[in-house]
Parts: sequence; structure tokens; C-alpha cells
Amino acid sequence: MQFWLGLAVFGCVVAVLPPTLGNEYLIGVALTVFMWLALTPSWCVLSQLTGYVSLGHVVFYGIGAYLVVITWGQWPLWLAIPAAGLVSAVFALVVGGQVLRVRGPYFVILTFGLAELIKFSIMAIESGMGMAARILFGAPDLLVIYWLMVGLAVISVLLLGWVSTSRFGHGLRSLRENEEAAETLGVPVVRYKLAAFVLSAVIPGMVGAVMALRSTYFVVEQVFDPLVSVTVIAMALLGGGDGVRGPIFGALFLACMSELLWAKAPLLYMILLGGILVVFVLLVPNGLVGLFQRFKVRE
Amino acid sequence: MLETMLSGQLLFAALVTGSVYALVALGLNLVYGTMRMLNVAHGDLVMLGAYAAFWGFSLFGLSPLLMAPVIALAGAAVGVAMYRMLFRKMLGKASQSTAGKVESNSLLLFFGLSILIQNSAAFVFTPNIRGYVYLDAVYTLGNVSMTVNRLVALLVAGTLCVSIALFLSRHVLGLAMRAVIERREAASVVGVDVDRVQKLSFGVGFGAAAIAGVLMSMLEQFSPFSGFPFTVAGFVVIILGGLGNITGGLLAALFLGFIETYGVALTSANLRSVLLYGSFVVVLLFFPNGLLSKRLIR
Repeated sequence: MQFWLGLAVFGCVVAVLPPTLGNEYLIGVALTVFMWLALTPSWCVLSQLTGYVSLGHVVFYGIGAYLVVITWGQWPLWLAIPAAGLVSAVFALVVGGQVLRVRGPYFVILTFGLAELIKFSIMAIESGMGMAARILFGAPDLLVIYWLMVGLAVISVLLLGWVSTSRFGHGLRSLRENEEAAETLGVPVVRYKLAAFVLSAVIPGMVGAVMALRSTYFVVEQVFDPLVSVTVIAMALLGGGDGVRGPIFGALFLACMSELLWAKAPLLYMILLGGILVVFVLLVPNGLVGLFQRFKVRE
Repeated sequence: MLETMLSGQLLFAALVTGSVYALVALGLNLVYGTMRMLNVAHGDLVMLGAYAAFWGFSLFGLSPLLMAPVIALAGAAVGVAMYRMLFRKMLGKASQSTAGKVESNSLLLFFGLSILIQNSAAFVFTPNIRGYVYLDAVYTLGNVSMTVNRLVALLVAGTLCVSIALFLSRHVLGLAMRAVIERREAASVVGVDVDRVQKLSFGVGFGAAAIAGVLMSMLEQFSPFSGFPFTVAGFVVIILGGLGNITGGLLAALFLGFIETYGVALTSANLRSVLLYGSFVVVLLFFPNGLLSKRLIR
């Protein structure tokens, strides 16, 4: 309870501060931070709880962004953004049945390959239609986008918080430990996995939709950039733990770091990201939260 | 249309692509088979091999073919070093905790390595696309005209694949390798030095990848990010051909070469990646146990 109270106060301060200061650069930075705060917990709903590590989370983001772009000027935003979430969820539902039957490292590369396949297919469709890039005219004000993103981040954190303490969440954890045993004990494994996959797809779909409004310049490679998936994993891995804390810590930490480095030295940022993956998998598999807990136990 | 499909030109192109894929996949198969770890960074070794050949050729005028053995040895050394530093430790841990999580994590580790290698290469070599002209004389046989470098690539890749296959089926060490691939515990019970075999397969696998890189650099342009498609192609091949099944792998590589070459010829070059990733997803979803092998992956 204490944690949630602290988080709420902290979140409110961080969310309100940039608009009050009225500094556009600061709002932009905060927007990016909230974007990662929305994406990372949504990834955790499936991948942290069940151990089915998805390396294709960006596919939902890209689908959401693409939906907003192709319906631009025809659908109002209050329809297009929820629709983006819905279409992502439907996509997850359709492919999930097959994809979730694949396990372990195969699942990891399969999700990556699937995201790349969708990316290259949409690229082929776009270039077939003679579209190299699209520009959205008349996108809403930065502040509107900002508050939408804050809302999505809040929903995402609450969603993970709810799932990870619910009966459903414990069911998901049980199949991470031992899927056969969980099934024998009566956990509806297939239904749970699919539900988690669909749930984890909704938010990135809407985040992609909102971010498409932010950049207004649409290039397929950009909204399906595998870097998004990798960053999300690095954030979750960095935070570690088995709940809401880890992803929030990880996302805050790495988002600030990427803000400092990404624009100025993108290659260095990527090298750092690769380094984080290697070091944390090898040496700190339970992340910062795990490290912190070990520290506390020792005291 | 039919004429293009039946022309020897296309057949030759498919054979060249297939033979390079076969070499890449063979290395991947050895590392995967003995360690049960999917090495996502395998293609990046191909890329590094290509850069080594490129720099040797453009800075010192060294023939890529003469340098190939040296580059292969360097690749093998990298493989052995990586095995010693990273993976022996990881494998030791694997037996203690839950296997599934470790496998997914090992993939993240390889993925992190892949990102590190790609971006360090982009940092050092610049992200520009590179290429050089080598052995581009045209040789005509019947109505098929081929550049000498493609012919050489086909011959070298083919010879290497066959010799590695022979090594695995004739030499004692090769037999030990196959034993570890098929039954790890049983092999160690009958006295196979599993650690040594794993080191050897990292060496041979990475060496093969580096040579494939040299061959690739003679045929097409490349950048620090050209390695990943080779990893994907390698996975398609080893899954289709069956794990540890060398002959199956060779056939599957040719099959993929044909799909890619004829697919692009029938549609457009834009669809090359769609075809590659499409076959990847289809294979993983619908033929996870391979087309040829009856053995189960899980």
C-alpha cells in the first residue's frame, strides 16, 4: 500500500511538473519517459509473469500507429486510438493460438521474426501503393498527446499491478515454473497464456497510435523498429523482480539514459543497450530490484 | 516467364545462395546441436568475416581467397574465446535452475552480444555500405554466363560443407561431436570429453561463419547490419533440415536458396525480406520438427 501511495505522489509530481513549467523540450522528454512506462509493464504482463519472453513487442506498437495513419482524416481520434488497441488485441488473439504453442528460445526468435515479417510486409504494401512516407496534417496539440500518454502509462502500471496480484497472475507464474505441472493441477494454461498475450497487446497498440500523432511523419521502419522491443526487454531486465517495481525502475532509469545518449550518440546508446543485456543476463539475472532485496536481507 | 524459370542462370544463382546458406547453417547447427543454445550472433560473425576480407583487400590488396584460411582461424579463435569466457559458466549454471528460463535468457545474452557486435562495428567501420570488385570476369558455360567470383564461392562453400560433413562422419572427433549432439549425457558416460567437443564446435562453427562472410563479401555489398538475415536463414535451414542432421541441412539450404532466388525473380526484389522472414515464421509454426527429420525438438 505504501508503495502505491508513494508511486501515486511521485507520478503526479513528475506528470504535472513539465506542463506547469511550460517548457516544450521538457514535455517531450517526459512524454518519452511515460511512453516507456506504458510499454514496459504491458510487456511484463505476458513475458515477465509467464517466462514467454517476447522479442516482438513492437509489432503491436507498429500496428496501432499504422491504423491511425491509414484512417487519418477519416476517423476521429476518440475512435481511432481505442480502435488501435483493439486491432492489436485482435491480431494477438489471431496469431496467439499458434505462436504460444512454441516454447523457450524458439518463442523468443519466433516473436522477433513475426514482427519483422509484418514490418517488411507493410513496407512492401506501402511501396506497392507508391508511398515512401506519410505526413499527418493537423495533429493535436503536444499537451493533449502528453496527457493521453500519461493516462496510458497509468493504465499500464495498474494493469500489471492487478494481474500480478490476481489469481490469474498466480496462474501465469505457475506456468512459468512448470507448464505441465500447472496444467495437471488444473490451471487453464492455454486460455491463460492467450489472455495474457492479448492483454499485453492492447496498450502498445494505443501507445503506437499516440506516438504516430507525436511524430506526424510516418515511416514504416520507424514504427516497427526492433529497437523498441529490445529497449523494453532491457528495461524489464534492468529492473528485474517479479511485480510492478522492477519495470518502473528499469523504465525510468533507462529512459533517462536514452534521453541523454540516443539523440547525441545513437551507436554508443546501442552498445550500452547490448552491454546491459549481456551483463544483466550473466551477472544480475534478478535485476536491480533483486540486487536491492539481497542487500536488505544481508542487513 | 517459364523461360526465365527454367534458365540455367537462375539455377546457378540459387545454387550459389544455397551453398553459402549451407555453410552458415552448418556452423550454427554445430553450436546449437552441442550446446542447445540458439546463437543469434552467428550472422554477425559472417559480417565480421566480410569486413576482414574487405579491409585486407582494399587496404593491402590481399586476395580474399588467400586470406580466407587466416580469417577462418581468427573466427575460430573468437569462438573458442567466447565459449571459454561466457558460455561454459552459463552452461554450468543451467543444470541448477529451471532450464526454460535459462534457455530464453541465453538467447537474450546472444541477442545482446549481437547488438554489441553490430553497433561496435558500425562505430569503428562507420555504418556505410561497403563492397569491392574481385574476380568479376564473366565465364560462359553453354548458355549460362557466370562471374568467376560466384563460381569460386559455390566451389569453396560446397567443398567446405562436404569436408565438414566427412569430418563428422569419419573422424573420431567428428563422431564425438555427433554423439554429443544426439545424446549429451550418454556421450559423457562413454567417455567423450563434452567440454572439449563444445569448444571444438564453437571453433569450427565460428570459423565456417567467418569464411561464409569472406565469400559473401565477394558477391554483394554489406554493412555492419548485414549479418542478421544470415542468422535467420541459418535458423530456417537447421529447423527444416533437422537438428544435428547435416545432410538434411545441406538439402534445406539449397531449398531455401531456391525459394529466395525464384521468389524474388517471380515477384520483386522488395519481397526478399518478406520471403525470408515468411519462411522463417512458417517453418517455426508449422514444421518445428523439420521436413526431413522425424526427431522431436523438445
